Formats: sequence, C-alpha cells, structure tokens
Amino acid sequence: MANGVSRRDALRYSAAILGGTALAGSSLTRAFAQQTARVRFAGYVESQEQLTQTLAVLKLYSDKHPDVEIVPEFTNFRAFTDKIATETAGGNAPDMFSVNVDLLAEYARRDVSMPLDQYIPDPLDLTSYLGSAVNAAKFDGKQYAIPNDAIAPAIFMNQASFDKAGIPIPAEMWTWEELREVSAKLGKDLGPRFWGVEDAGGNYIPCDIFLRGRGKSMFTPDHRLGFEPEDMEAWFAYWKSMREAGAVPPGDVQALSSNDDPSTAGIVAGRTAMAITLTDSFVGYQSLLQDPLVLHLMPNGFEGGEMEQRHYSYAGNSTSVSAKSPYHEQIIDIIHFMHFDPEGARVFYEGSGMIPCSGILRDELAQTGSEADRKIIEYLNLLQKNPAKPRYPGVPGMSGMLGRANEGVAFGQLTPKEAADQFIGEVSARL
Amino acid sequence: MTITSAPTAPRARPPAGRRKVGLNARQNKAAFVFLAPWIIGMVCLTLGPILASFYLSLTDYDMFTAPEWIGGQNYVKMFSEDRRYFQALKVTFTYVFLSVPLKLAFALAIAMLLNRGLKGLGFYRSIYYLPSLLGGSVAVAIMWRQVFSYDGVINQFLLKFGISGPSWITSPDYALYTLVALAVWQFGSPMVIFLAGLKQIPQDVYDAAEVDGATPVRKFFAVTLPLLTPIIFFNFVMQTIGAFQAFTPAYIVSNGTGGPADSTLFYTLYLYEQAFTNFQMGYASAMAWVLVAIIAVVTAISFFSARYWVHYGDQR
Repeated sequence: MANGVSRRDALRYSAAILGGTALAGSSLTRAFAQQTARVRFAGYVESQEQLTQTLAVLKLYSDKHPDVEIVPEFTNFRAFTDKIATETAGGNAPDMFSVNVDLLAEYARRDVSMPLDQYIPDPLDLTSYLGSAVNAAKFDGKQYAIPNDAIAPAIFMNQASFDKAGIPIPAEMWTWEELREVSAKLGKDLGPRFWGVEDAGGNYIPCDIFLRGRGKSMFTPDHRLGFEPEDMEAWFAYWKSMREAGAVPPGDVQALSSNDDPSTAGIVAGRTAMAITLTDSFVGYQSLLQDPLVLHLMPNGFEGGEMEQRHYSYAGNSTSVSAKSPYHEQIIDIIHFMHFDPEGARVFYEGSGMIPCSGILRDELAQTGSEADRKIIEYLNLLQKNPAKPRYPGVPGMSGMLGRANEGVAFGQLTPKEAADQFIGEVSARL
Repeated sequence: MTITSAPTAPRARPPAGRRKVGLNARQNKAAFVFLAPWIIGMVCLTLGPILASFYLSLTDYDMFTAPEWIGGQNYVKMFSEDRRYFQALKVTFTYVFLSVPLKLAFALAIAMLLNRGLKGLGFYRSIYYLPSLLGGSVAVAIMWRQVFSYDGVINQFLLKFGISGPSWITSPDYALYTLVALAVWQFGSPMVIFLAGLKQIPQDVYDAAEVDGATPVRKFFAVTLPLLTPIIFFNFVMQTIGAFQAFTPAYIVSNGTGGPADSTLFYTLYLYEQAFTNFQMGYASAMAWVLVAIIAVVTAISFFSARYWVHYGDQR
C-alpha cells in the first residue's frame, strides 16, 4: 500500500479530488436552483405544540409544491432575536421571518422587511383580521407583516386556589387596589411559600395598562415616552407595596420564574394563585396544570378613578418578508397557504395554542378547537366589544430594563423613584 | 486526503542522518499548500475579524446600517456614563479573584491526594477530571441551577437540620458565589497538570529532606511547593485568562440576564447584551478591546511577578 504513491502524486490527487468536489458542488447547486426555490423561514414559537403545527403546515406545503423547499429555523423568542440580528447583519437574513410589534418597527425602519401592500387584498385579504393587529403591523402607513395570531394581556387565575381560600373570583372590572387585597389574602390563607400573584413589576404590558389607568401610556404613537417620572415611580411603588403585603413572592423567589420556560412560572410550580401574562401562554400553562385556569381581565383602573376596558389585542407573532429575498412570489404563496387554504390553516392553527388573527378562522376554531381555545376566543371577543387604544411599538430590550429596575426595588437596592429614573434613562437612550 | 498521504509519509521523509539544513523551494511549496487551509482560516476567520472589531469599536454600529465613525466616544462613554459597565467590572474581578485561587488550591489538594501511589489512579483521575469536561456545557449549568434553586438538593439537605436555606442562585447576595463554586468544582484540568508536575519532582529530593528530619508539612512547603511553582504559574495564568472570559455558566444560570439585580452581570455577558439585545455592536467591540487590555495587563503583571516567586529547576 505504501509503495507507488509519491508525495507529488499525493498532492496531485488531493488537488484533483478537491477541485472535483468543488465543481460537482457548484453544478449540483445550479441544477437545484433551477428547479427548487429554497426558502428559509426563521421564527419563534411559544410552545412545543406551536412548533409541531408550524413544521407540519410547512411540510404539507412542500409536499404539495415539490418546487419549493422550506428550511424552517424556529426557536424561542430570546434566542430568535439574537439569531436574526446576527444573520441579518451578516447579510444572511432568512427569506421570511417572525416579528412582534417591537421587532417590526426595528426591521421595517432599516428596510430589512419589505412592505406587502401590493399583495393586499389579493391574494392576502385581511378584512376579517383583527383591526388592531393589522394596524400594529404597519410602519409609516405601510403593511410590513401579516399577523398570524391574536393575543391580549390577561390575568390567569387558578380556580382551585380561590376555592381553597374561600375567596370568590373577582368581578370582571376591578381595581389595582383590589388585586393587592385579594392577593394578600390568598398569600395569608394558603402560605407560607404561597402568594397571591406573580410579581409583574418587570413586565411592560401590565405596566402600560397601569399607566393607561392613570391617563398615560408607556409610549406614544410617535415613538416617545408617554408618561411622567412619577407615574413610573407609582408603578414600582405599587409592586413594593405588594411585596410588603405578602401578595407577591419576594425577589429571590420571583427570580425563579423564567419567561422562556412555562414550567418555572409561579402559577404552574404551585407558588401563586394568579399570573399576569398574555393569552398565548394560556394553552401551555393549562397543559402543565391539573386545576382549571380562569382567564380574567387585569385591573382596569384605580379606586375612585374611571373604570374602562384598557386591554388591547394585537399579534404576538406576524410574518415578515425579507426585502432581499429572490422568492417573494413563493413566500406570499406560503403565507396564503397558512392563512387561507382550509387544510393549511387547520394544520397551522389547530392544537397550536395560537388563536388566529383572522375572524373567519377564529369562528371556525371556536367550533372545532379545544376547551382552552374556546376560553381564549371568548376572552378576545369580550375585549372586542369595547376595544382599547392600540399598543404602540417600544424598543427591543425594554423588558430587561424594566425587569432590572423592578429587581433593584425587590432586593432593596433602589427606591421606587431611583428605579423609575434608571428605567427612564435606559429607555430614553434607545428611543 | 489524509488517507492517501498518510502511508506515503514514512517513505517520503529522508532518513534523519541525511537531512539537510534548509528546505528547497519545491518542498516549501508543498508545505504552504498543506498549510493553506490553516493560514486562510487564520487570516479570514481570526485576524480579519479582530482588526474589523477594532475599527468597529471606533464607530456607532447597529448591525443593520453602515457603521458611523465616532472616534473614541464608545470608550469615553464606557468609563464616564455607564454604571452597569462598572457593575460588570466589579462582578468579573470578584469572580476572578475568588475562583482562580480557590480552584488552584483545590486542584493541588486533589492532585496531592492522587499522587500517593493509589491503585487505579487512572480511574480516579478520569472521575475527577469529568466535571471539567462537562464544565463549559449548558447541561452542567442547568444542573447547577437545579441543585442550588429554592427547592433544590442543597436546601432540602439543609432542611434536614432545620435550616431554611435561601434561594442561592436567585438572591443577589449568593448568586455570584454559587458560580464561583461551580468554577472551583471544575478543577480537573489544572489538577491533571499539577499531577504531572508532582510526578516530575525527583524522589531523591524528598529522601534527602526525610534524612534531614523534615515533617510532611515542612516537605510540602520546602520541597513540593517551590519545585511546583512553574506549574502553579502556568495554571494561574491560564485560569485567570479563562475566568475573565467566563460566559456560559452565568448566561445559563441567570437566563441570559446577569440577574438577579445585575449580581452576575459578567463582563462578557454585558458585552453580549449590548451587542445582541441592544444592537450596540460598536460599543460591544470597544468593550471587547478593553477586556483584551485588562487581560494583557493582568498577564503582564503575573509574568513580572513571576521572577520573584517562580523557581525553575535549572536556575538553582
């Protein structure tokens, strides 16, 4: 074996092999490119169920369209934002990708996403879609994304905990003061190591609703802060008073909950009776719990103040198209399949925990979906009776800023006023 | 490629006695061809990005639009306005100063234990080395999170003695120390190097000390430790550099936030947050260069101090 091959021969052969591979590779890709459009679809999902259904609908599409190969790249939200930013910066943006309200503004402003108005209403007819969600997917008056789902803020209540403590489920319209009272009582009756509600002081949507109860909002439509420092101070002071009343877990227990993992949430882990979150977590939380969960409105105002429905509905997940992709036609067809093809839409939504943004599909899901789906649809319909002002885009990383400020108060490092100043300083620098 | 060239190697190489000094041009060419993948890799994948990051550190760059030249402003902002930057420095220095000496002491102690002519030494060495192999991994950090959590093993053990432990990883008072403990637990790689160093110390030196009536403690301080100083120095430098760059454990244990309340905001974690959450790539690049400078200074100080405490055998 060792004889007959000199070093020169070895070099020559390896070069030939390398060159041959390169040639073969390029001609192969070229041959493929002529027949198959390779569409990369990157996105985030809220649950395993959503991932399963999304992959299933994409596979179904590919099966029906052998000329389109879809490469799915799905992950959780946090990992997704890092990944898409890096890929886009490297000139390797996926052909289509998920966005939320904040990311949409970021990517539309920088011309990464393309406006889709030319495809509306034909073939993408959004007439029956939730108006607030369609509007939230606009930037500069142009439609930059197609909303997939409809979500709204809510408070989940564990019926069993309320029964055990002998406390009735609060009325539909209630105040922030009542939330404190009920939570403190739940903590007192069912403790130790049990509290009424999870600390939502670091969560910006309830904060926005709290501010709206004071006649303000987190942001204004023209992308500025919509509140005064004392409003934010009141927010942090409210959660401080909740901690002091034993209504929410102390800082070190609260920090056990992670947004990315529903099993760590206080209500799922059996630490709290209530959780303030978004409707798209409902199916995931319920699947991890034996006790039935109640979907309820958050407080809508303050004692003696004006009570008004302030919960906006929007899309937690919309699909945006890369301006640089060579496959616009195919991408629109994929979106059309997921939203308007009866079979495609059924696979995409049913059992995914997502509630369709389309009214037609929502009505269908109300008939065929699970008990949890029905509860969410009922809740969303309730909100549409008296729609609130829409949510205005903020800045990426905002949850982290609010969360850090709230933790600072929880661990006694900051006063509510200092926390408010810190948060305002950090957000202003990014606006 | 390796399959075809490997068998020819012994034949192609001239016998040692006939080898001439200096290589002829043809051989040079071959060498460069074989080195090419590595050289291209180094220039394109290492050197290029390093230089690019230095340029970016002098710009305002959000990853989407073209970088905008702002001179030294990122560096000025870092040291004048950014309170979280100082928190990141504080956390990182605390971590380095605690974890490196503790880890080295632990590694040396285990190495001495294993150096006593145990049967099945290879087995024990592998067992003790195992945590280091898993060390940088996500799995161990997740396990650590479980062990030290509110309802974790540590607290359940303490509860048996009637002590209600805190939630270690989610309390700003303890979170950093659990990460120090995690680092110390991964003592395997310095231990293996210590073990090799211990085996290098000639037995006759110990015999001589024994004849002179030295106690085991005296032998450790007068023989083992001085003769081991080059190894200690090597381990110290490597571990210090590694500790400054610690990222994975903090990222996993704090869910990427550096929390609670920035108590585990490692330098690299903050850099990552600036780059990928806040899209401040220029600022993040500047932070990276300051970290390089810090590591260079600390390493230089170590080398400078070495002449006072490191004893190389041949200099005696």
